[in-house]
Amino acid sequence: MKTIVRTEDLGKYFGEMAAVHAVNLNLQEGLFTSIIGPNGAGKTTLINLLSGYLLPDTGKIFFRESEVTRLEPHKRVKIGISRSFQVMNIFPRMTVFQNILLPVLSRLNRNSRPFSSLTSQKEAVAEAEKILNEVWLWGKKDRPAGQMSHGDQRLLELGIAVASNPQLCLLDEPSSGMNPIERIKVLELVKKLAAERKTTFAIVEHDMDVVFALSDWIVVMNRGEILAEGKPDDIKNNQEVRDTYLGEEI
Amino acid sequence: MKKTLPLLGLVILLVFLPQFAGKYSLYLAIHVMLLSLFSLGFNLLFGYTGLLSFGQAGFYAVGAYACAKILLAFPSLLAGILGGVVIAGISAFVLGILCIRHTRIYFSMLTLCFGMMIFSLAWKWRDMTGGDDGLVGIPRAPLEIPGLLRLNMTPMENYYYVVLIFTVLAIYLFYRIVHSPMGLTFQGIRDSETRTGCVGISVRNYRLISFTIAGMYAGLAGALLPPLESTVTPPVAHWSHSAEPVLATLLGGIYNFAGPIVGSALFYILKDIIVRFTEYWLICLGIIVLVLVMGFRGGVVSMFYGKGGRG
Repeated sequence: MKTIVRTEDLGKYFGEMAAVHAVNLNLQEGLFTSIIGPNGAGKTTLINLLSGYLLPDTGKIFFRESEVTRLEPHKRVKIGISRSFQVMNIFPRMTVFQNILLPVLSRLNRNSRPFSSLTSQKEAVAEAEKILNEVWLWGKKDRPAGQMSHGDQRLLELGIAVASNPQLCLLDEPSSGMNPIERIKVLELVKKLAAERKTTFAIVEHDMDVVFALSDWIVVMNRGEILAEGKPDDIKNNQEVRDTYLGEEI
Repeated sequence: MKKTLPLLGLVILLVFLPQFAGKYSLYLAIHVMLLSLFSLGFNLLFGYTGLLSFGQAGFYAVGAYACAKILLAFPSLLAGILGGVVIAGISAFVLGILCIRHTRIYFSMLTLCFGMMIFSLAWKWRDMTGGDDGLVGIPRAPLEIPGLLRLNMTPMENYYYVVLIFTVLAIYLFYRIVHSPMGLTFQGIRDSETRTGCVGISVRNYRLISFTIAGMYAGLAGALLPPLESTVTPPVAHWSHSAEPVLATLLGGIYNFAGPIVGSALFYILKDIIVRFTEYWLICLGIIVLVLVMGFRGGVVSMFYGKGGRG
Protein backbone atom coordinates (compact mmCIF):
# COMPACT_ATOMS: atom_id res chain seq x y z
CA MET A 1 0.00 0.00 0.00
CA LYS A 2 1.32 3.43 -0.98
CA THR A 3 1.74 6.41 1.31
CA ILE A 4 -0.27 9.34 0.01
CA VAL A 5 0.74 11.92 2.64
CA ARG A 6 3.73 11.86 4.91
CA THR A 7 4.89 14.40 7.47
CA GLU A 8 8.30 14.73 9.10
CA ASP A 9 8.49 16.31 12.56
CA LEU A 10 5.62 18.63 11.73
CA GLY A 11 5.09 21.42 14.27
CA LYS A 12 2.85 24.45 14.71
CA TYR A 13 3.16 26.67 17.76
CA PHE A 14 0.98 29.53 18.93
CA GLY A 15 3.21 31.31 21.42
CA GLU A 16 4.00 28.83 24.17
CA MET A 17 1.33 26.40 23.10
CA ALA A 18 2.25 23.51 20.82
CA ALA A 19 -0.85 22.95 18.70
CA VAL A 20 0.99 20.31 16.69
CA HIS A 21 4.36 18.99 17.83
CA ALA A 22 6.77 16.59 16.10
CA VAL A 23 4.06 14.80 14.17
CA ASN A 24 5.22 12.01 11.87
CA LEU A 25 2.09 10.98 10.04
CA ASN A 26 1.69 8.44 7.26
CA LEU A 27 -1.65 8.35 5.50
CA GLN A 28 -2.03 5.27 3.34
CA GLU A 29 -3.74 5.44 -0.03
CA GLY A 30 -7.16 3.79 -0.08
CA LEU A 31 -7.54 3.54 3.69
CA PHE A 32 -10.39 5.33 5.41
CA THR A 33 -8.52 7.09 8.21
CA SER A 34 -10.06 8.80 11.23
CA ILE A 35 -8.17 11.31 13.33
CA ILE A 36 -9.55 11.38 16.86
CA GLY A 37 -8.63 12.94 20.15
CA PRO A 38 -9.92 15.26 22.88
CA ASN A 39 -10.68 18.92 22.24
CA GLY A 40 -7.49 20.88 21.70
CA ALA A 41 -5.55 17.80 20.64
CA GLY A 42 -4.44 19.48 17.41
CA LYS A 43 -6.66 17.60 14.94
CA THR A 44 -7.98 20.69 13.13
CA THR A 45 -4.55 22.32 13.15
CA LEU A 46 -3.15 19.18 11.53
CA ILE A 47 -5.85 19.33 8.82
CA ASN A 48 -5.07 23.05 8.34
CA LEU A 49 -1.38 22.25 7.92
CA LEU A 50 -1.99 19.42 5.47
CA SER A 51 -4.32 21.55 3.36
CA GLY A 52 -2.02 24.60 3.40
CA TYR A 53 -4.44 26.78 5.32
CA LEU A 54 -1.69 27.16 7.96
CA LEU A 55 2.06 27.03 7.39
CA PRO A 56 4.08 24.87 9.78
CA ASP A 57 6.80 26.31 12.01
CA THR A 58 8.84 23.13 11.81
CA GLY A 59 8.95 19.98 9.73
CA LYS A 60 7.93 18.98 6.23
CA ILE A 61 4.88 17.66 4.39
CA PHE A 62 5.10 15.30 1.43
CA PHE A 63 2.26 14.44 -0.96
CA ARG A 64 3.11 11.36 -3.01
CA GLU A 65 6.74 12.00 -2.04
CA SER A 66 6.76 15.55 -3.46
CA GLU A 67 7.34 18.21 -0.84
CA VAL A 68 4.34 20.53 -0.46
CA THR A 69 5.20 22.14 2.88
CA ARG A 70 4.84 25.74 1.71
CA LEU A 71 2.52 25.22 -1.25
CA GLU A 72 -0.50 27.56 -1.26
CA PRO A 73 -3.94 25.98 -0.53
CA HIS A 74 -5.31 26.46 -4.06
CA LYS A 75 -2.22 24.79 -5.53
CA ARG A 76 -2.64 21.83 -3.17
CA VAL A 77 -6.18 21.40 -4.46
CA LYS A 78 -4.80 21.30 -7.99
CA ILE A 79 -2.43 18.45 -7.11
CA GLY A 80 -5.21 16.49 -5.41
CA ILE A 81 -5.72 17.56 -1.78
CA SER A 82 -9.21 18.76 -0.91
CA ARG A 83 -10.86 19.57 2.42
CA SER A 84 -13.98 20.58 4.29
CA PHE A 85 -14.14 22.85 7.33
CA GLN A 86 -15.19 22.34 10.94
CA VAL A 87 -17.29 25.51 10.82
CA MET A 88 -19.68 25.45 7.85
CA ASN A 89 -17.97 26.94 4.81
CA ILE A 90 -20.09 27.00 1.68
CA PHE A 91 -21.12 29.75 -0.77
CA PRO A 92 -24.35 30.84 0.91
CA ARG A 93 -25.67 33.32 -1.69
CA MET A 94 -25.08 31.00 -4.60
CA THR A 95 -27.45 28.17 -5.55
CA VAL A 96 -26.67 24.60 -4.53
CA PHE A 97 -25.86 23.80 -8.16
CA GLN A 98 -23.45 26.75 -8.47
CA ASN A 99 -21.74 25.64 -5.24
CA ILE A 100 -20.80 22.39 -6.94
CA LEU A 101 -20.24 23.85 -10.40
CA LEU A 102 -17.52 26.27 -9.24
CA PRO A 103 -15.05 23.61 -8.01
CA VAL A 104 -15.78 21.50 -11.09
CA LEU A 105 -15.02 24.48 -13.36
CA SER A 106 -11.85 25.11 -11.37
CA ARG A 107 -10.76 21.49 -11.78
CA LEU A 108 -11.34 21.68 -15.53
CA ASN A 109 -9.48 25.04 -15.63
CA ARG A 110 -12.52 26.77 -17.09
CA ASN A 111 -13.34 29.22 -14.34
CA SER A 112 -11.27 31.98 -15.94
CA ARG A 113 -13.52 32.26 -19.00
CA PRO A 114 -15.00 35.76 -18.96
CA PHE A 115 -17.62 35.71 -21.70
CA SER A 116 -18.97 32.15 -22.08
CA SER A 117 -22.21 31.27 -20.33
CA LEU A 118 -22.35 28.77 -17.49
CA THR A 119 -24.80 26.55 -19.36
CA SER A 120 -22.39 26.24 -22.29
CA GLN A 121 -19.92 24.45 -20.00
CA LYS A 122 -21.56 21.12 -20.76
CA GLU A 123 -18.87 18.82 -19.33
CA ALA A 124 -18.75 20.79 -16.07
CA VAL A 125 -22.54 20.96 -15.82
CA ALA A 126 -22.89 17.19 -16.34
CA GLU A 127 -20.21 16.52 -13.72
CA ALA A 128 -21.85 18.90 -11.22
CA GLU A 129 -25.23 17.24 -11.74
CA LYS A 130 -23.68 13.83 -11.12
CA ILE A 131 -22.15 15.01 -7.84
CA LEU A 132 -25.46 16.57 -6.75
CA ASN A 133 -27.08 13.18 -7.20
CA GLU A 134 -24.28 11.47 -5.29
CA VAL A 135 -24.75 13.73 -2.25
CA TRP A 136 -28.59 13.56 -2.41
CA LEU A 137 -29.10 17.24 -3.25
CA TRP A 138 -30.42 17.02 -6.81
CA GLY A 139 -33.94 18.03 -5.73
CA LYS A 140 -32.62 21.18 -4.08
CA LYS A 141 -30.21 22.29 -6.79
CA ASP A 142 -31.81 25.68 -7.45
CA ARG A 143 -32.16 26.74 -3.82
CA PRO A 144 -29.83 29.35 -2.33
CA ALA A 145 -27.34 27.30 -0.34
CA GLY A 146 -27.58 29.55 2.72
CA GLN A 147 -31.30 28.84 3.07
CA MET A 148 -30.94 25.06 3.41
CA SER A 149 -31.03 23.08 6.64
CA HIS A 150 -27.81 22.47 8.54
CA GLY A 151 -27.77 18.81 7.50
CA ASP A 152 -28.17 19.68 3.82
CA GLN A 153 -25.43 22.30 4.08
CA ARG A 154 -23.13 19.62 5.50
CA LEU A 155 -23.95 17.38 2.52
CA LEU A 156 -23.26 20.30 0.20
CA GLU A 157 -19.90 20.91 1.82
CA LEU A 158 -19.07 17.27 1.26
CA GLY A 159 -20.12 17.69 -2.37
CA ILE A 160 -17.86 20.74 -2.76
CA ALA A 161 -14.95 18.80 -1.30
CA VAL A 162 -15.33 15.87 -3.70
CA ALA A 163 -16.11 18.09 -6.72
CA SER A 164 -12.40 18.84 -7.06
CA ASN A 165 -11.99 15.09 -7.69
CA PRO A 166 -9.25 14.87 -5.07
CA GLN A 167 -6.91 11.98 -4.41
CA LEU A 168 -6.97 12.87 -0.72
CA CYS A 169 -10.00 14.43 0.94
CA LEU A 170 -9.65 15.83 4.46
CA LEU A 171 -12.98 16.25 6.27
CA ASP A 172 -13.04 18.18 9.52
CA GLU A 173 -16.04 16.95 11.52
CA PRO A 174 -18.29 16.40 8.49
CA SER A 175 -21.25 15.42 10.65
CA SER A 176 -21.01 18.04 13.40
CA GLY A 177 -24.34 19.52 14.45
CA MET A 178 -26.29 16.57 13.06
CA ASN A 179 -28.50 14.16 14.99
CA PRO A 180 -27.21 10.58 15.45
CA ILE A 181 -29.26 9.15 12.56
CA GLU A 182 -28.15 11.88 10.12
CA ARG A 183 -24.59 11.43 11.33
CA ILE A 184 -24.50 7.73 10.51
CA LYS A 185 -26.08 8.37 7.08
CA VAL A 186 -23.53 11.06 6.21
CA LEU A 187 -20.55 9.04 7.29
CA GLU A 188 -21.82 6.02 5.38
CA LEU A 189 -22.12 8.31 2.36
CA VAL A 190 -18.49 9.38 2.86
CA LYS A 191 -17.44 5.73 2.96
CA LYS A 192 -19.47 5.04 -0.21
CA LEU A 193 -17.88 8.01 -2.00
CA ALA A 194 -14.45 6.80 -0.94
CA ALA A 195 -15.12 3.43 -2.54
CA GLU A 196 -16.78 4.70 -5.71
CA ARG A 197 -14.41 7.59 -6.40
CA LYS A 198 -11.28 5.77 -5.23
CA THR A 199 -10.51 8.75 -3.04
CA THR A 200 -8.56 8.47 0.18
CA PHE A 201 -10.50 10.08 3.02
CA ALA A 202 -9.11 11.28 6.33
CA ILE A 203 -11.74 12.58 8.71
CA VAL A 204 -11.80 14.23 12.10
CA GLU A 205 -14.77 12.83 14.00
CA HIS A 206 -16.03 12.70 17.59
CA ASP A 207 -18.66 9.95 17.33
CA MET A 208 -16.65 6.91 18.40
CA ASP A 209 -19.32 4.35 17.43
CA VAL A 210 -19.19 5.62 13.85
CA VAL A 211 -15.40 5.97 13.83
CA PHE A 212 -14.85 2.38 14.94
CA ALA A 213 -17.50 1.06 12.57
CA LEU A 214 -16.24 2.82 9.44
CA SER A 215 -12.50 3.39 9.78
CA ASP A 216 -9.73 1.25 8.36
CA TRP A 217 -7.11 3.13 10.34
CA ILE A 218 -7.28 5.42 13.33
CA VAL A 219 -4.84 8.10 14.45
CA VAL A 220 -5.22 9.28 18.02
CA MET A 221 -3.88 12.72 18.93
CA ASN A 222 -3.36 14.30 22.30
CA ARG A 223 -1.75 17.64 23.18
CA GLY A 224 -0.51 18.15 19.62
CA GLU A 225 1.19 14.78 19.32
CA ILE A 226 0.25 11.40 17.93
CA LEU A 227 -0.57 9.22 20.91
CA ALA A 228 -1.26 6.05 18.96
CA GLU A 229 -2.30 4.77 15.56
CA GLY A 230 -3.53 1.50 14.23
CA LYS A 231 -6.52 -0.59 13.24
CA PRO A 232 -9.78 0.04 15.14
CA ASP A 233 -9.41 -3.07 17.32
CA ASP A 234 -5.84 -2.17 18.25
CA ILE A 235 -6.90 1.33 19.24
CA LYS A 236 -9.84 0.02 21.26
CA ASN A 237 -7.49 -2.19 23.22
CA ASN A 238 -4.76 0.40 23.68
CA GLN A 239 -4.69 1.17 27.40
CA GLU A 240 -3.04 4.58 26.96
CA VAL A 241 -5.77 5.66 24.52
CA ARG A 242 -8.47 4.37 26.87
CA ASP A 243 -6.96 6.28 29.77
CA THR A 244 -6.54 9.50 27.83
CA TYR A 245 -9.57 9.69 25.62
CA LEU A 246 -11.90 6.75 25.15
CA GLY A 247 -12.62 5.76 28.72
CA GLU A 248 -13.46 2.22 29.76
CA GLU A 249 -16.90 1.79 28.21
CA ILE A 250 -15.68 1.31 24.61
CA MET B 1 -39.01 37.44 -21.20
CA LYS B 2 -40.26 39.10 -18.01
CA LYS B 3 -36.83 40.67 -17.60
CA THR B 4 -35.98 41.41 -21.24
CA LEU B 5 -39.14 43.34 -22.12
CA PRO B 6 -38.54 46.30 -19.77
CA LEU B 7 -34.93 46.37 -20.91
CA LEU B 8 -35.90 46.40 -24.57
CA GLY B 9 -38.42 49.16 -23.85
CA LEU B 10 -35.74 51.19 -22.11
CA VAL B 11 -33.29 50.84 -25.01
CA ILE B 12 -35.99 51.91 -27.51
CA LEU B 13 -36.86 54.89 -25.30
CA LEU B 14 -33.19 55.89 -25.10
CA VAL B 15 -32.72 55.52 -28.87
CA PHE B 16 -35.64 57.85 -29.59
CA LEU B 17 -35.01 60.23 -26.68
CA PRO B 18 -33.32 62.95 -28.79
CA GLN B 19 -36.47 63.12 -30.98
CA PHE B 20 -38.64 64.48 -28.20
CA ALA B 21 -36.35 65.52 -25.34
CA GLY B 22 -34.59 68.83 -24.92
CA LYS B 23 -30.86 69.42 -24.50
CA TYR B 24 -31.05 69.39 -20.70
CA SER B 25 -32.78 66.01 -20.68
CA LEU B 26 -30.10 64.62 -22.99
CA TYR B 27 -27.40 66.07 -20.75
CA LEU B 28 -29.06 64.45 -17.75
CA ALA B 29 -29.42 61.12 -19.61
CA ILE B 30 -25.70 61.16 -20.47
CA HIS B 31 -24.86 61.70 -16.82
CA VAL B 32 -27.14 58.82 -15.82
CA MET B 33 -25.33 56.57 -18.31
CA LEU B 34 -21.93 57.68 -17.01
CA LEU B 35 -22.94 56.99 -13.42
CA SER B 36 -24.38 53.63 -14.51
CA LEU B 37 -21.02 52.58 -15.95
CA PHE B 38 -19.21 53.92 -12.90
CA SER B 39 -21.61 52.06 -10.56
CA LEU B 40 -21.50 48.81 -12.52
CA GLY B 41 -17.72 48.72 -12.14
CA PHE B 42 -18.03 49.54 -8.45
CA ASN B 43 -20.60 46.77 -8.01
CA LEU B 44 -18.39 44.21 -9.73
CA LEU B 45 -16.06 44.78 -6.80
CA PHE B 46 -18.67 45.18 -4.08
CA GLY B 47 -21.73 43.14 -4.99
CA TYR B 48 -19.95 40.39 -6.93
CA THR B 49 -16.46 40.15 -5.38
CA GLY B 50 -17.19 41.42 -1.87
CA LEU B 51 -14.66 44.27 -1.88
CA LEU B 52 -15.80 47.75 -0.85
CA SER B 53 -13.72 50.34 -2.66
CA PHE B 54 -13.74 54.02 -1.71
CA GLY B 55 -11.23 54.96 -4.38
CA GLN B 56 -13.04 54.38 -7.67
CA ALA B 57 -13.16 58.13 -8.34
CA GLY B 58 -9.38 57.94 -8.74
CA PHE B 59 -9.74 55.69 -11.81
CA TYR B 60 -12.64 57.78 -13.07
CA ALA B 61 -10.29 60.78 -12.91
CA VAL B 62 -7.45 58.89 -14.61
CA GLY B 63 -9.85 58.05 -17.47
CA ALA B 64 -11.09 61.65 -17.64
CA TYR B 65 -7.66 63.30 -17.55
CA ALA B 66 -6.15 60.78 -19.98
CA CYS B 67 -9.00 61.31 -22.45
CA ALA B 68 -8.71 65.10 -22.04
CA LYS B 69 -4.94 65.09 -22.66
CA ILE B 70 -5.36 62.88 -25.73
CA LEU B 71 -8.13 65.07 -27.13
CA LEU B 72 -6.09 68.22 -26.54
CA ALA B 73 -3.11 66.71 -28.36
CA PHE B 74 -4.84 64.61 -30.98
CA PRO B 75 -8.47 65.35 -31.82
CA SER B 76 -9.97 61.87 -32.16
CA LEU B 77 -12.87 60.96 -29.91
CA LEU B 78 -12.31 57.23 -30.23
CA ALA B 79 -8.61 57.54 -29.35
CA GLY B 80 -9.50 59.71 -26.36
CA ILE B 81 -12.10 57.35 -24.97
CA LEU B 82 -10.18 54.13 -25.58
CA GLY B 83 -6.96 55.74 -24.33
CA GLY B 84 -8.76 56.76 -21.14
CA VAL B 85 -10.06 53.23 -20.58
CA VAL B 86 -6.66 51.60 -21.18
CA ILE B 87 -4.73 54.02 -18.95
CA ALA B 88 -7.34 53.70 -16.17
CA GLY B 89 -7.10 49.91 -16.52
CA ILE B 90 -3.29 49.99 -16.23
CA SER B 91 -3.54 52.26 -13.15
CA ALA B 92 -6.09 49.93 -11.57
CA PHE B 93 -3.91 46.91 -12.29
CA VAL B 94 -0.80 48.50 -10.72
CA LEU B 95 -2.59 49.89 -7.64
CA GLY B 96 -4.66 46.70 -7.44
CA ILE B 97 -1.52 44.63 -6.90
CA LEU B 98 -1.02 46.61 -3.67
CA CYS B 99 -4.68 46.83 -2.61
CA ILE B 100 -5.91 43.27 -3.12
CA ARG B 101 -3.40 41.88 -0.66
CA HIS B 102 -5.89 42.96 1.99
CA THR B 103 -9.65 42.63 2.49
CA ARG B 104 -12.48 44.27 4.44
CA ILE B 105 -11.73 47.64 6.04
CA TYR B 106 -8.00 47.44 5.21
CA PHE B 107 -8.80 47.13 1.52
CA SER B 108 -11.30 49.98 1.73
CA MET B 109 -8.78 52.25 3.46
CA LEU B 110 -6.07 51.44 0.93
CA THR B 111 -8.37 52.28 -1.97
CA LEU B 112 -9.36 55.51 -0.22
CA CYS B 113 -5.67 56.42 0.24
CA PHE B 114 -4.73 55.69 -3.37
CA GLY B 115 -7.81 57.52 -4.61
CA MET B 116 -6.82 60.58 -2.61
CA MET B 117 -3.25 60.29 -3.90
CA ILE B 118 -4.64 60.57 -7.41
CA PHE B 119 -6.69 63.57 -6.26
CA SER B 120 -3.52 65.18 -4.86
CA LEU B 121 -1.72 64.56 -8.15
CA ALA B 122 -4.58 66.17 -10.06
CA TRP B 123 -4.49 69.12 -7.66
CA LYS B 124 -0.71 69.66 -7.45
CA TRP B 125 0.75 68.48 -10.76
CA ARG B 126 -0.12 71.75 -12.47
CA ASP B 127 1.98 71.16 -15.62
CA MET B 128 0.13 67.96 -16.42
CA THR B 129 -3.34 68.49 -14.97
CA GLY B 130 -3.74 72.25 -14.83
CA GLY B 131 -3.89 72.13 -11.02
CA ASP B 132 -7.05 73.49 -9.42
CA ASP B 133 -8.04 75.14 -12.72
CA GLY B 134 -8.14 71.73 -14.34
CA LEU B 135 -7.93 71.15 -18.07
CA VAL B 136 -10.15 73.44 -20.12
CA GLY B 137 -11.13 73.85 -23.73
CA ILE B 138 -11.27 70.15 -24.42
CA PRO B 139 -12.74 69.68 -27.89
CA ARG B 140 -15.61 67.34 -28.58
CA ALA B 141 -13.55 65.88 -31.39
CA PRO B 142 -15.17 64.08 -34.30
CA LEU B 143 -15.62 60.35 -34.17
CA GLU B 144 -13.24 59.25 -36.85
CA ILE B 145 -12.21 55.91 -38.23
CA PRO B 146 -9.73 56.78 -41.05
CA GLY B 147 -11.10 55.90 -44.45
CA LEU B 148 -14.38 54.67 -43.00
CA LEU B 149 -16.20 57.16 -40.90
CA ARG B 150 -16.15 60.78 -39.75
CA LEU B 151 -18.97 62.04 -37.59
CA ASN B 152 -19.24 65.56 -36.25
CA MET B 153 -19.79 65.49 -32.50
CA THR B 154 -20.64 69.16 -31.99
CA PRO B 155 -24.41 68.59 -31.74
CA MET B 156 -25.26 67.16 -28.32
CA GLU B 157 -27.54 64.54 -29.96
CA ASN B 158 -24.59 62.96 -31.82
CA TYR B 159 -22.49 62.71 -28.73
CA TYR B 160 -25.48 61.30 -26.85
CA TYR B 161 -25.60 58.40 -29.32
CA VAL B 162 -21.87 57.74 -28.90
CA VAL B 163 -22.34 57.54 -25.11
CA LEU B 164 -25.41 55.34 -25.57
CA ILE B 165 -23.52 52.90 -27.81
CA PHE B 166 -20.58 52.69 -25.40
CA THR B 167 -22.98 52.22 -22.48
CA VAL B 168 -25.04 49.48 -24.13
CA LEU B 169 -21.86 47.66 -25.21
CA ALA B 170 -20.32 47.97 -21.74
CA ILE B 171 -23.52 46.77 -20.05
CA TYR B 172 -23.72 43.81 -22.44
CA LEU B 173 -20.09 42.88 -21.71
CA PHE B 174 -20.73 43.27 -18.00
CA TYR B 175 -23.72 40.95 -18.25
CA ARG B 176 -21.59 38.35 -20.02
CA ILE B 177 -18.83 38.64 -17.42
CA VAL B 178 -21.02 38.25 -14.34
CA HIS B 179 -22.93 35.33 -15.85
CA SER B 180 -19.74 33.54 -16.95
CA PRO B 181 -17.49 31.09 -15.10
CA MET B 182 -15.31 34.08 -14.19
CA GLY B 183 -18.34 35.87 -12.73
CA LEU B 184 -19.16 32.77 -10.69
CA THR B 185 -15.59 32.79 -9.40
CA PHE B 186 -15.99 36.43 -8.28
CA GLN B 187 -19.19 35.48 -6.45
CA GLY B 188 -17.42 32.58 -4.80
CA ILE B 189 -14.78 34.97 -3.46
CA ARG B 190 -17.54 37.27 -2.18
CA ASP B 191 -19.29 34.42 -0.36
CA SER B 192 -16.19 32.75 1.11
CA GLU B 193 -12.64 33.44 0.09
CA THR B 194 -11.28 30.54 2.17
CA ARG B 195 -13.68 28.11 0.50
CA THR B 196 -12.80 29.55 -2.92
CA GLY B 197 -9.10 29.02 -2.23
CA CYS B 198 -9.88 25.48 -1.16
CA VAL B 199 -11.53 24.61 -4.48
CA GLY B 200 -8.31 25.40 -6.33
CA ILE B 201 -8.76 29.07 -7.21
CA SER B 202 -6.16 31.77 -6.64
CA VAL B 203 -8.23 34.35 -4.79
CA ARG B 204 -5.65 37.11 -5.20
CA ASN B 205 -5.47 36.75 -8.98
CA TYR B 206 -9.22 36.99 -9.36
CA ARG B 207 -9.49 39.91 -6.97
CA LEU B 208 -6.92 41.69 -9.13
CA ILE B 209 -8.86 40.89 -12.31
CA SER B 210 -12.06 42.22 -10.72
CA PHE B 211 -10.27 45.35 -9.51
CA THR B 212 -8.82 45.99 -12.97
CA ILE B 213 -12.15 45.53 -14.74
CA ALA B 214 -13.84 47.83 -12.20
CA GLY B 215 -11.09 50.40 -12.84
CA MET B 216 -11.69 50.15 -16.60
CA TYR B 217 -15.42 50.76 -16.13
CA ALA B 218 -14.66 53.79 -13.95
CA GLY B 219 -12.14 54.90 -16.59
CA LEU B 220 -14.72 54.55 -19.37
CA ALA B 221 -17.23 56.66 -17.42
CA GLY B 222 -14.50 59.22 -16.77
CA ALA B 223 -13.31 59.24 -20.39
CA LEU B 224 -16.82 60.03 -21.62
CA LEU B 225 -16.98 63.13 -19.40
CA PRO B 226 -14.46 65.63 -20.93
CA PRO B 227 -16.05 65.75 -24.39
CA LEU B 228 -19.37 66.51 -22.69
CA GLU B 229 -18.18 69.19 -20.27
CA SER B 230 -15.12 70.48 -22.21
CA THR B 231 -13.31 70.59 -18.89
CA VAL B 232 -11.93 68.30 -16.19
CA THR B 233 -11.17 69.49 -12.66
CA PRO B 234 -9.69 67.73 -9.59
CA PRO B 235 -13.01 67.18 -7.74
CA VAL B 236 -13.75 64.25 -10.09
CA ALA B 237 -10.99 62.40 -8.22
CA HIS B 238 -12.19 63.37 -4.74
CA TRP B 239 -13.34 60.63 -2.37
CA SER B 240 -16.78 62.23 -2.15
CA HIS B 241 -17.17 61.43 -5.85
CA SER B 242 -16.43 57.79 -5.02
CA ALA B 243 -19.54 57.90 -2.84
CA GLU B 244 -21.82 58.44 -5.85
CA PRO B 245 -21.62 54.86 -7.18
CA VAL B 246 -21.94 53.61 -3.60
CA LEU B 247 -25.19 55.55 -3.15
CA ALA B 248 -26.51 54.62 -6.60
CA THR B 249 -25.77 50.93 -6.02
CA LEU B 250 -27.38 50.94 -2.59
CA LEU B 251 -30.44 52.67 -4.05
CA GLY B 252 -30.82 50.20 -6.90
CA GLY B 253 -29.63 47.03 -5.20
CA ILE B 254 -26.29 45.39 -4.61
CA TYR B 255 -27.22 41.82 -5.46
CA ASN B 256 -28.94 42.52 -8.72
CA PHE B 257 -27.42 43.03 -12.13
CA ALA B 258 -29.68 45.99 -12.94
CA GLY B 259 -29.42 47.52 -9.44
CA PRO B 260 -26.61 50.01 -10.18
CA ILE B 261 -28.27 51.11 -13.44
CA VAL B 262 -31.67 51.70 -11.83
CA GLY B 263 -29.94 53.32 -8.86
CA SER B 264 -28.03 55.72 -11.12
CA ALA B 265 -31.23 56.85 -12.81
CA LEU B 266 -32.92 57.28 -9.43
CA PHE B 267 -29.91 59.18 -8.10
CA TYR B 268 -30.11 61.81 -10.84
CA ILE B 269 -33.92 61.98 -10.84
CA LEU B 270 -34.02 62.47 -7.06
CA LYS B 271 -31.16 64.95 -7.19
CA ASP B 272 -32.84 66.91 -9.98
CA ILE B 273 -36.10 67.11 -8.04
CA ILE B 274 -34.60 67.84 -4.62
CA VAL B 275 -32.21 70.61 -5.75
CA ARG B 276 -35.24 72.60 -6.91
CA PHE B 277 -36.26 72.93 -3.27
CA THR B 278 -33.02 72.93 -1.29
CA GLU B 279 -29.30 73.19 -1.83
CA TYR B 280 -28.88 70.51 0.88
CA TRP B 281 -29.99 67.82 -1.53
CA LEU B 282 -27.42 65.32 -0.28
CA ILE B 283 -29.03 65.28 3.18
CA CYS B 284 -32.43 64.42 1.65
CA LEU B 285 -30.85 61.81 -0.62
CA GLY B 286 -29.01 60.36 2.37
CA ILE B 287 -32.29 59.98 4.28
CA ILE B 288 -33.90 58.25 1.29
CA VAL B 289 -30.96 55.84 0.98
CA LEU B 290 -31.12 55.20 4.73
CA VAL B 291 -34.81 54.32 4.58
CA LEU B 292 -34.24 52.10 1.55
CA VAL B 293 -31.29 50.28 3.11
CA MET B 294 -33.24 49.68 6.34
CA GLY B 295 -36.53 48.75 4.65
CA PHE B 296 -35.38 47.12 1.40
CA ARG B 297 -31.90 45.74 1.83
CA GLY B 298 -31.89 44.54 -1.75
CA GLY B 299 -32.57 48.06 -3.06
CA VAL B 300 -35.37 49.25 -5.33
CA VAL B 301 -34.95 46.39 -7.81
CA SER B 302 -35.57 43.82 -5.07
CA MET B 303 -39.12 45.21 -4.73
CA PHE B 304 -39.81 43.80 -8.20
CA TYR B 305 -37.58 40.73 -8.37
CA GLY B 306 -37.38 39.69 -4.70
CA LYS B 307 -34.50 40.02 -2.25
CA GLY B 308 -32.30 37.39 -3.72
CA GLY B 309 -33.28 38.05 -7.30
CA ARG B 310 -30.30 38.43 -9.51
CA GLY B 311 -31.55 39.77 -12.76
